Amino acid sequence: MPGGSTPQKFDVIVVGAGPAGSAAAYLLAKKGFKVLVIERGRGAGSKELYGGRVYAAPLREVWPELDKEAPIHRWVRKERISVVNGETVATIEYTASKPVSFTAYLPELAGWMAKKAEEAGALLVDEVRVDEIIVENGKIVGVRSGDDRVYADVVIDAEGANRLLLEKLGMVERASPENLAVGVKEVIKIGGKNIEERFGLEPGEGLAWVLVGVTSGAPGGGFIYTFKDTVSLGVVVHLRGAIKAIESGAFTDHVYKLVEGLRIHPYFRKLWADGDIVEYGAHLTIEGGLSFMPKKLVAPGFVIIGDAAGLLLNTGYTIRGVDFAVYSGKLAAEAVEEAFNKGGPTEENLKVYEEKLRDSFVYKELVKHRGIEKVMKDPDFFTKYPAMLTLTLGKLFEGEYEEPTILEALLSSAREAGVPLLSSLLKLLWVVRRL
Amino acid sequence: MNGEAKAGGQEVKMMKLDDLLQRNVYDVDEEPHIVVDYSKCDKCPTKPCVYLCPAGCYTLVGGRILFSYEGCVECGTCRVICPMDAITWNFPKSGRGIYFRFT
Repeated sequence: MPGGSTPQKFDVIVVGAGPAGSAAAYLLAKKGFKVLVIERGRGAGSKELYGGRVYAAPLREVWPELDKEAPIHRWVRKERISVVNGETVATIEYTASKPVSFTAYLPELAGWMAKKAEEAGALLVDEVRVDEIIVENGKIVGVRSGDDRVYADVVIDAEGANRLLLEKLGMVERASPENLAVGVKEVIKIGGKNIEERFGLEPGEGLAWVLVGVTSGAPGGGFIYTFKDTVSLGVVVHLRGAIKAIESGAFTDHVYKLVEGLRIHPYFRKLWADGDIVEYGAHLTIEGGLSFMPKKLVAPGFVIIGDAAGLLLNTGYTIRGVDFAVYSGKLAAEAVEEAFNKGGPTEENLKVYEEKLRDSFVYKELVKHRGIEKVMKDPDFFTKYPAMLTLTLGKLFEGEYEEPTILEALLSSAREAGVPLLSSLLKLLWVVRRL
Repeated sequence: MNGEAKAGGQEVKMMKLDDLLQRNVYDVDEEPHIVVDYSKCDKCPTKPCVYLCPAGCYTLVGGRILFSYEGCVECGTCRVICPMDAITWNFPKSGRGIYFRFT
């Protein structure tokens, strides 16, 4: 246990009241640490935006009361994956026996997590933007906002994907379009009854839907999630891929037009017909977490968690960010406590955080699925392969008199889509083994 | 560009980006949190910000970039993609800017 704090000094300062920051703050405050959480938004959660789905189990390790108390909208029972090529759509649907994830508004959920941290004794100060991490004698000692300085034995950086503070510290390179994507989404209110009827759901059940072929040739995809009485729809576009698509002339319209294309798409638009758009927004997301991860996640008096640490996995069919963030917050809280018990938060003592993370499912998942980085760099996965699949199905199902064999349909579709079969097959095998 | 698409008698409208942004809640700061050096933009061959800023803060007027920060959703895309290093980017101060509710 720490001791001897003066009023201006905290044991721990957490920068950012997102899922990672609030999980760390909650667990440390519960252990009796004097914790200050600094949030730039008006109230925790007001700057949060994601697709819409959270995996529950890692969160329950921090908050066992999650299922009862958290602002959960719907438990995801139905998963859909669709390949879109113009007006044609090929879909796989899976109904789970037992839901493991739920939909929630992240502003609400992050607000709940921050309230938990406050109830445990953490002090939350909002509407304060941290401008700098203070370094003295090679050690991180606090944070500065404008002319105000606050000091602590440990600073936990949970600033998110826009790592202004880490860049200033020199702990990460300047942000690059290589390993970032932008998610753009609309939220449309259609009412709970409509959601259940139109998506074939029981009350309280939700649906998560991933789409390929909706990003005008730029690497990325689309998503649809159902909430209590709204639907969110959006696209995620890899930034380097989008820049290349702009340069090559494949991408000729504004990125919001991709979301609009999905909203007015003849197959999808029935789902939210007569709804009201209640919000529109965007957020950066990480592609290829390992390449975004800082070389060091700890420094003397300093720990990096959540998106800032590169802890987000987008496999294309599932996206895990909030649960990774919360879990890294939990590991950081354990590491900080152990470091205090071992004599103080030196870099040596805090290194246990890196070890814990490397042994956790979070890091193992990122390593296991590293093949996705290759996918994101290859436009074929977002143009030619979706086209080939829908063309093949079209030949099989749209023959008015004659129907080709599957092989004939595949071969002629590959030719039409410009896919060299053998090399593509090898590429697909390589990737599938690493997803 | 404000057309309508009919689906089984039900309406799904096309929208202007400005009308979409109108649905959001903002407390816009008097001072811009992003500053753009237009002299660098003039030399930029691709101007990806015009396509990729989700809030359409970067528009072309007579071939030149015009920036407005009021509709910014604070995603950081422009900072990452600008090939000319023309953007001085920060979050708004004192809780200002976008206030997300259903995202």
